[in-house]
Amino acid sequence: MSKPKPAPLPSGTVVGGYQIIKKLAAGGFGVVYLAEDAERHLVAVKEYLPSSLAERAPGELTPRVKPEKQPLYRLGLKSFFEEGRSLAQISHPSVVSVLNFFRENETVYMVMNYLQGDTLQDFIVTARDLKRDKVFRESTIRSLFDEILRGLRIVHQHKMLHLDIKPANIFITNENKAVLLDFGAAREVLSKEGNFIRPMYTPGFAAPEMYRRDGTLGPWTDIYAIGACIYACMQGYPPNDSPQRIEKDRLALSLSRLRNVYSDNLIEVTEWCMSLDPLSRPQSVFSLQKELARETERRYTKLSFSERLKLQLENLTAKS
Amino acid sequence: MRFSVYQVSRRGGREKNEDRMGYCYTRDSGLFALADGMGGHPEGEVAAQLALQTLAAMFQRDAKPTLREPMRFLHEAIIAGHHQLLRYATQKALIDTPRTTVVACVLQGNSAYWAHCGDSRLYLVRGDKLIARTRDHSYSELQETMSHVVPMPERFNRNVLFTCLGSPGKPVVDTVGPLLLQSGDRLLLCSDGLWGTVSDAIITEQLARNGIADAVPELVEMALRNGGAKSDNVTVLAMEWESAEDHDTGAGVSTQSLGEEVFASTIQASMLGEAPADELDDAEIERSIREINEAIKRSSQKKS
Repeated sequence: MSKPKPAPLPSGTVVGGYQIIKKLAAGGFGVVYLAEDAERHLVAVKEYLPSSLAERAPGELTPRVKPEKQPLYRLGLKSFFEEGRSLAQISHPSVVSVLNFFRENETVYMVMNYLQGDTLQDFIVTARDLKRDKVFRESTIRSLFDEILRGLRIVHQHKMLHLDIKPANIFITNENKAVLLDFGAAREVLSKEGNFIRPMYTPGFAAPEMYRRDGTLGPWTDIYAIGACIYACMQGYPPNDSPQRIEKDRLALSLSRLRNVYSDNLIEVTEWCMSLDPLSRPQSVFSLQKELARETERRYTKLSFSERLKLQLENLTAKS
Repeated sequence: MRFSVYQVSRRGGREKNEDRMGYCYTRDSGLFALADGMGGHPEGEVAAQLALQTLAAMFQRDAKPTLREPMRFLHEAIIAGHHQLLRYATQKALIDTPRTTVVACVLQGNSAYWAHCGDSRLYLVRGDKLIARTRDHSYSELQETMSHVVPMPERFNRNVLFTCLGSPGKPVVDTVGPLLLQSGDRLLLCSDGLWGTVSDAIITEQLARNGIADAVPELVEMALRNGGAKSDNVTVLAMEWESAEDHDTGAGVSTQSLGEEVFASTIQASMLGEAPADELDDAEIERSIREINEAIKRSSQKKS
């Protein structure tokens, strides 16, 4: 039996001058609450409370950490600080902003902008259930990723990688702004690669080098994930995960289904971002932005007879 | 004083990155430095770090808020770094001394001053022209210079240096300055990982055509690409000088608002070669929280 997860703070509790309204989400690292500041503005408060290391009974405020788990707990705290430090340096509309950072209940809290809206994931699911031939319009995809890439470029300029870009971490606010969320995996890796802990990854969006111990991570790793997100926006589903692709790569084939629906250029860009070889991808956000912004006349190429045949065969073998 | 600065260090195909860089400034003076710890000798990364820390510590001591004699400061601080390396090797009873190259630049008043030892370089680009570049202390560059005087038969390996910090003999330090700066001048410090595979012409062209925030990552990527799987580490620190009259662009560092006592630095002043302890104590936690909140304040000021 697994041990119970630490209990979230009860609604109404006040921490660091913020009153907790309710729990929004819980992850391995901690709990995110909706809260209100002294001026009754809504904020999101993230509490450091690693579920595998800390215990807290319902109604209690201070988490308990067994002595043998202390070193790991403190190490995790360091990563939490790193996330705060990284986000604090970045002030960009496409990157979630940190408002405050404080210590209470023998743990630490990060206060962030509370965003109202839905994740890109929610939008994709809603759109694909409409069962039209396009999940999103091409112009929507281009402008959405233009915004996201602006934010990501700033992140990379601060020598950080996000390393967990996926539709669930891209938030579309009710004001129609795209914001990058959850820098829990972000690490300042461009400057110190020595003592770097490899973060967790999300299948489908994680580049092949994320699976390898010795893989060199870089901006191209985030760019793979961006490509996978564009894929999901066109297809409605995430792509195959990269170990699967290494075995048998069906990416080109599944992208060919989108021909004549999306422009050749957008399909090519997606394929470029998702190259299995890191060096074959755009090496910087800048070069990808340039390509995406190239609003030349869009070319659409229909499938040839033999390509259609190949697709049908592929469908048959997939079914059997 | 106003300047923008952009720095990138990337590990190539090497096991570790022994390049270090950083900058620090007071209201009226800025120090920018880069060191490339040498392989083939022990603890290259310690050597590079020590050289920079020594520079930064002396800068903090002497820049009040300007350096009285920037040229002399650069020379003395680099030599002091050399002595630190010798002391470190003695303390740890190392058979060989850790070694490093170093290049450092001071921006003060309207002028630039720089000094170097080894083959880490400084480039100064104005408009689309390369105005100045340091000459490496390597046999190959020496040979090029001397070839007009004394013909020498074979080419030397560009990597062989005749001086660096930590070597048994006294290091050769070349100092240049003052050079009067103009608004828009771009200065670039780099390790040989950059210039080894990217030509001066391309470095100049990139700096001339793009802002440093685009040129630097582009150059570093080029160097890594050209270097291939065995690429050297590539480290680049570039700054753009903006004259006081320039309109506030929002980007870059303005030191105008700093008090006389303020000293800011990206060079960590950790103790000699000591690995930072992994565990956080309470003081460390408090400090982290304070730093994060200061960063939040700074970013939100920038926004408004």
